Amino acid sequence: MKIVTIIGARPQFIKASALSRAFREHNKTSDQKIEEIIIHTGQHFDENMSEVFFTELEIPHPNYNLEIANLPHGAMTGRMLEAIEVVLKDEQPDYVLIYGDTNSTLAGALAASKLHIPIAHVEAGLRSFNMKMPEEINRILSDKISNLLFCPTEIAVINLKNEGIVSGVHNVGDVMFDVTLHYREQAKAKIELSKWNVTDGNYALCTIHRAENTDNLSRLQSIFDALREIAKELPVILPIHPRTRQLLKRLDKETWLKSINILEPLPFLEMLRLEMSAKVILTDSGGIQKEAYFHEVPCITLRDETEWVETVEMGWNKIVGADKEKILNAYQSYDIELNKKHQQSPYGNGNTANKILEILINEKN
Amino acid sequence: MKKIDIVVGARPNYIKAFPVYEALNKTGNFDLRLINTGQHYDDNMSNIFFRQLGMKKPDVDLSVGSDSHAVQTAKIMIKIEKEFLRKKPDLLIVFGDVNSTIAAALTAAKLNIPIAHIEAGLRSFDRSMPEEVNRILTDQISTYLFTTSPEAEKNLLLEGKIKKQIYFVGNTMIDSLVKFEKLFNCSDLLIENKLIKKEYILVTLHRPSNVDNPSKLKDVANSLNMISEKTEIIWPIHPRTWGKLNQYKILLNERINITKPKGYLEFMGLQKNAKFIITDSGGVQEESTYFGIPCFTVRDNTERPITVNRGSNILVGSDFTKLFDVIIECGKKEKRRNLLPEKWDGASSERIASIIINNIL
Repeated sequence: MKIVTIIGARPQFIKASALSRAFREHNKTSDQKIEEIIIHTGQHFDENMSEVFFTELEIPHPNYNLEIANLPHGAMTGRMLEAIEVVLKDEQPDYVLIYGDTNSTLAGALAASKLHIPIAHVEAGLRSFNMKMPEEINRILSDKISNLLFCPTEIAVINLKNEGIVSGVHNVGDVMFDVTLHYREQAKAKIELSKWNVTDGNYALCTIHRAENTDNLSRLQSIFDALREIAKELPVILPIHPRTRQLLKRLDKETWLKSINILEPLPFLEMLRLEMSAKVILTDSGGIQKEAYFHEVPCITLRDETEWVETVEMGWNKIVGADKEKILNAYQSYDIELNKKHQQSPYGNGNTANKILEILINEKN
Repeated sequence: MKKIDIVVGARPNYIKAFPVYEALNKTGNFDLRLINTGQHYDDNMSNIFFRQLGMKKPDVDLSVGSDSHAVQTAKIMIKIEKEFLRKKPDLLIVFGDVNSTIAAALTAAKLNIPIAHIEAGLRSFDRSMPEEVNRILTDQISTYLFTTSPEAEKNLLLEGKIKKQIYFVGNTMIDSLVKFEKLFNCSDLLIENKLIKKEYILVTLHRPSNVDNPSKLKDVANSLNMISEKTEIIWPIHPRTWGKLNQYKILLNERINITKPKGYLEFMGLQKNAKFIITDSGGVQEESTYFGIPCFTVRDNTERPITVNRGSNILVGSDFTKLFDVIIECGKKEKRRNLLPEKWDGASSERIASIIINNIL
């Protein structure tokens, strides 16, 4: 069986690597070999995607690099469509595998659809219900033309059902759970917490990158006022993009700058190491809310909404926005409310890649 | 003044768009721009519409030409995005199910330009048709959905679209038929081929599944040869199909009159005066319903079931080896009831214009 994987952004590389690993393991023992060809559209130029990224995380190098970047959405999707079609015509795969909700996802789906190549969509069925987001358009359209829809949660399955999509839909769990479990051991073995002068369970980890927080001075100030309070009793670690660091200069020059440990953005494994041993994570990132849950670390989300409602329903995530009092309330009440009870995970059991592999093989036969 | 971009790209688009452009233009409320993608470049298939129908020349011509589906869609997206960025329209109107439809809609959606899709909600439920994929995707990202039949609304609701997005307005293609019916004329063509009104069969076939595969084309020729023994046939044929017939030395009965593809007015004349029609086209199913001419649609499914349920269309399946028997069988039956579908009355474009004024812009 031949599979063409189409990816273009760093998180997609990380997710796809879980599938690539499953394919490699499968090929060791099975006669029905899987050949995977990876197309990198080049959509996101990312300084963190250096050679180290590929070697350290054992991520396979792409077979094709289309180098399509820095274009408006229409032109970017159009150019990708043209270039991907050429590759698909050459390779004639049994499946095209796409991930998530980027322009690369949609361009891959469209190109395959026009050539009648079956499409498998990993992370199908997610919806923000905001059609102004280009990602939402990419999600909806990719799902519409996919033949196999691999949903991370039951809610994703229901979203698809509401759009009339029921055939080919599988709840396989979240591939990021696989990824987290896989690299967790590696991170633990390779990286010492002493690097940051902290110990297991005795620090808070914070990330802020969304424009709604960084570009809004009163929100940013309020978040940092809360962080300063927390830092009085717990070390706070804040890896931050240089652009955001520049914005901090607009805040009141107060002593808190000394109490918060501000770092450069961290490589994947170091970030994972900090996530898994934090006492609490404060974040405005989508992915980190979910990763906090995988590590069973309480999360405080510095946004007014979340796409990961399951984490909130189970008590592992609190949506507080940028309000200082709400942030501190959430921080102080976690100890009482959460006794780390084990619930049924809504994101599967970390065996998503193998489930997808099995379905691909069954569908092919 | 609110700005509206109207995008057309292929022959069926022009017929649907023309009355809508006129209706909007008449209101004087809008800054209209007509963009032709140039998806079809054959003179008989495009320019002739502007000449014969007196339709306004496009303000913008993207001239993308023919290519693979993906490349054609891609080229339109790349070129049309520049146009949208320059003019920043308040509304985009697209028609039907061609590559220009999805390419323009997708590009507009990413720029948060609201989209109105005319002829929304048609479904053949056959994903192997590229048109079906174009329809499904365009409807998903359109804000306003103008439908030709109640079935279309049901299809859209099943895909999660909401009732207040959907406007049942009828068929704008019929508006063109009503407006130009007096001009439909094929007399010269009939004289030239020694054919008599109501005593010939019109054949139109263009789907790759019927005309690209030599063994299928042989079945087509065999069945048409048999049918033509009973009633003479006229077949406006695409040069590519004609080439295939010659290449594979497939012989046609002399009672089958081959012509080049015809202009709109002449082709409509041929439909209106036919005894019956054999087709694999979408538009012809609707046009024949308007004329009340029996139409044998040689496909396994139709995205226009109302032409079968109410109109004069008969879906006979894609097996040409059975076509002769099916037609004979139909001839024995009582005459079918031919009803014009609701709101196929020539006023659909007026309805759309007033909805756009009152509810949209």
